[in-house]
Amino acid sequence: MNPKLKIIVAVSLWLFGIKPTFAELAIVVNPKNPVSSIATSTLKQIYLGGSVLFTPLEQDEHSSVHAEFYKKVLEKEPAQVQAIWAKLVFTARGGAPQVYQSSTGVKRALSENVNAIGYIEKSSVDDTVKVIAVIR
Amino acid sequence: MRNLLIGLSFVFLMIATAGVDAADKNNDGTLTVSGFYSLTGAKLLSDATRDTSNSSLYQNHSCPCNIAVYEYGGVYEKDRGIRFDQESLLGIQIRKKFSPTLSATAQLVSRLRNPNDGSTPTIDWLYVTWQPSGNSGWMLQVGKMRIPIYYYSDQLYVGYAYPWVRPSADVYGTSIYSYNGINASYRTQLGTSDWASTITAWSGSYTQKDDVYLTRLFFGQPTNEAWKRMLGGSVAVTNDVFDIRATMMHMNDIVWRDRAGGAPSTTIVDKYSQFAGLSMNMDYKNFLIKSEIDRADVSVGKYKYGLLGIGYQLGAWTPMYTYSRYLDDNSSDSGHTHVASIRWDFYRNMALKFEYDLAKEHFHHSYPISERSRLLSISLQGIF
Repeated sequence: MNPKLKIIVAVSLWLFGIKPTFAELAIVVNPKNPVSSIATSTLKQIYLGGSVLFTPLEQDEHSSVHAEFYKKVLEKEPAQVQAIWAKLVFTARGGAPQVYQSSTGVKRALSENVNAIGYIEKSSVDDTVKVIAVIR
Repeated sequence: MRNLLIGLSFVFLMIATAGVDAADKNNDGTLTVSGFYSLTGAKLLSDATRDTSNSSLYQNHSCPCNIAVYEYGGVYEKDRGIRFDQESLLGIQIRKKFSPTLSATAQLVSRLRNPNDGSTPTIDWLYVTWQPSGNSGWMLQVGKMRIPIYYYSDQLYVGYAYPWVRPSADVYGTSIYSYNGINASYRTQLGTSDWASTITAWSGSYTQKDDVYLTRLFFGQPTNEAWKRMLGGSVAVTNDVFDIRATMMHMNDIVWRDRAGGAPSTTIVDKYSQFAGLSMNMDYKNFLIKSEIDRADVSVGKYKYGLLGIGYQLGAWTPMYTYSRYLDDNSSDSGHTHVASIRWDFYRNMALKFEYDLAKEHFHHSYPISERSRLLSISLQGIF
């Protein structure tokens, strides 16, 4: 949703007495993982290949949750992130993160890998995942 | 005509790969095919040479000329106008994952300029990776790999990964750039801090017959080189702003020439050689800094190099100014280059780059390579 449209929707909702909520993101892991919180800077490094603390799980680049994550956490243009991963992939330092088509896919992957980390809409959180950070 | 065909092939490739994700997988997701490409053209604009006659034959080239790629002899000659065949390439990487702990990877690169192999793709990388467990910080690799001696050394041909058309040739381009051997690395988060670190060590050797750099750009006659008993290591520390890396390597550098009729070859140099490099890169609130200082003490000389680049991320545009320099300790020859570059990420997985290099050389003997040259480059670089 482009920023202008967001403002129009927000103002309209406010006029009708409804408080608008934009997508909050939840950073989630498998409930068996001992980690209970994570700093944004560490999260950034994991998604840019700088840290192997967790295996990052990506969402489809056309999804709004992906766009929110890039804007609020990575604070980088998609091309910059792609360039960083290209360097790692083509110089024997690892593979780019696996991409999932939806938060359901991310949650399923987390249930299969205790060492993975993912981002989903806060509204998608259920008891199959543990939340270790919330991005507003 | 040749340039036109090259251009059309790349346009086709661009269109064909524009919608493709970085990984084409087979059914069980264990085979990944990916790749990268560069379509680069450049023109040497003008220069001032010490030798004032029009063009002099310098080894295999018609100079005034500018060396852009030392490893494969990519040279732009003033009287040949704009050329697209000195740096353009296509790389394909195939990775097969046998288990969460074992995989094998091959990277083949086809270059338009390749004196030894011509149009046959070269196997730039061929290695097996093993980890004790899927999420381990430890990794072991065996095979043929590029030597990560300076920051951009192992990614030299993946243009999409860096801001310039090419990392400055003042710094980048050794006579031998691959090794057959083994490397081990360990990555870890430093306590509860922001910092992560990677420590790597590698060992191996490599023999290059008719070494392109020595044969075409240095001696002017067929020369072989081998780097034996290579031992190198690097330590890198990164947080989300800084990326600092120190590297060292030593080896035995042997340069020799074959003689006709089965006569024993002539050893020209057999020298204990060393490399050292320190790089510091920064990415903070759209400001980018790339910097490094390096030194090399090898068979054919003793050098110091460095570069400093300052850039800014303006949406899809990355303008940058870079200064690079080299000094030959033995002859006191030196050179420096001012580089103005701009990268435009106009579409997913591809970038258009424009670059202007102003190079000045100070020679203490009189072979006629450009004393001052201006190179204008344009490049389309991408990944798939």
